[in-house]
Amino acid sequence: MKRKFVDLNLQLPIHDLDKTRKMLEKAHELGYDLVAANLSPDTDDGTITYIKKLCASIGIDFATRVELIPKTRHELLGHLRRLRRKFEVVSVTCVSKVVARQAAKDRRVDLLFFPRLDSRKRFFDSQEAELASNALASLEIRIKPLLLSNGVQRTRLLSYLRKEAVVALNYGVPIVISSEASETWHMRKPRELAVLATLFDLDFPTGLDAVSKFPLSTVKRNREKLKSNFIAPGIRLVKRGKNCH
Amino acid sequence: MSLRTKPRHRYLALKIESNKTFDKRTLLNKIWNSLTRLYGEYGASKANLVLIDYKPEEGFAILRCNNNGILMVRAAIAIITQIMEAQVAIHVLAISGTIKALRRKLSQTQNV
Repeated sequence: MKRKFVDLNLQLPIHDLDKTRKMLEKAHELGYDLVAANLSPDTDDGTITYIKKLCASIGIDFATRVELIPKTRHELLGHLRRLRRKFEVVSVTCVSKVVARQAAKDRRVDLLFFPRLDSRKRFFDSQEAELASNALASLEIRIKPLLLSNGVQRTRLLSYLRKEAVVALNYGVPIVISSEASETWHMRKPRELAVLATLFDLDFPTGLDAVSKFPLSTVKRNREKLKSNFIAPGIRLVKRGKNCH
Repeated sequence: MSLRTKPRHRYLALKIESNKTFDKRTLLNKIWNSLTRLYGEYGASKANLVLIDYKPEEGFAILRCNNNGILMVRAAIAIITQIMEAQVAIHVLAISGTIKALRRKLSQTQNV
């Protein structure tokens, strides 16, 4: 069966619809079947519907995504309570250890991202991975910083990513590779993203899974959960009314 | 049983997207630089990179490399974002073991 490729992090400039269309067309041309755009929490339903229609006309599936950057554990919980049912993918940027631990154990979080280029501020260690594997969260690795950095900065980034990838694989935490592209120049084919994953010692098939199987399963699982007939994993409401015997 | 000593090659068809055009030497130097920065001189020497064909106006090129170095070359190409301060994205259109099969693949994809 043909693989379906997913980019879970496109930075669409939704105020510029012409550029948005160009980026979506480019994603389709590069071979993506599904893209998720980072939207602000207060994005109105009209805009989301418009982008979904635009994607349908181009022939690409669209998922809504929100990125949370909470400073405290309570802020994270508040955001999740408010936004989980509005977006199909929830990513948390972990800027402190407390937030990272809470995000890893919360089943409402889909993606964990560690932005800092400082070994003491990258919190994806074995404890974090164990919590994440129990809660079905994935480790998000963005390719844009890798493309735009060079020299020592890129070397350090690759070193951190290599360590985190090993921990994730050891604990069975899925790795999701996304582009974080805000311009068409930064967009790469899914197989190119998988090849770039070999730079941090993932093998090519695992890299392919990171741009197809893992992100696709996250979106599928969340879409199932967001349906009105969903009760719990494996349990769905099939009939409602007085004649249910 | 005989050992195969002849190296296997892979041919890559590339699409170069940029607002500027570059000459053959500039493009090849950029790919070599990228390869050397990522894998060092020792790693880059294993790739055995050769630019077979280049059409600057069409943004099309064919590269040849060693089969063992194919992932290194693809990574080095994917990571290029600028050539002579112009924004660039280089995509691999097709890969094949012979140049004839590569051209056939390309013509098939263009017909679809």
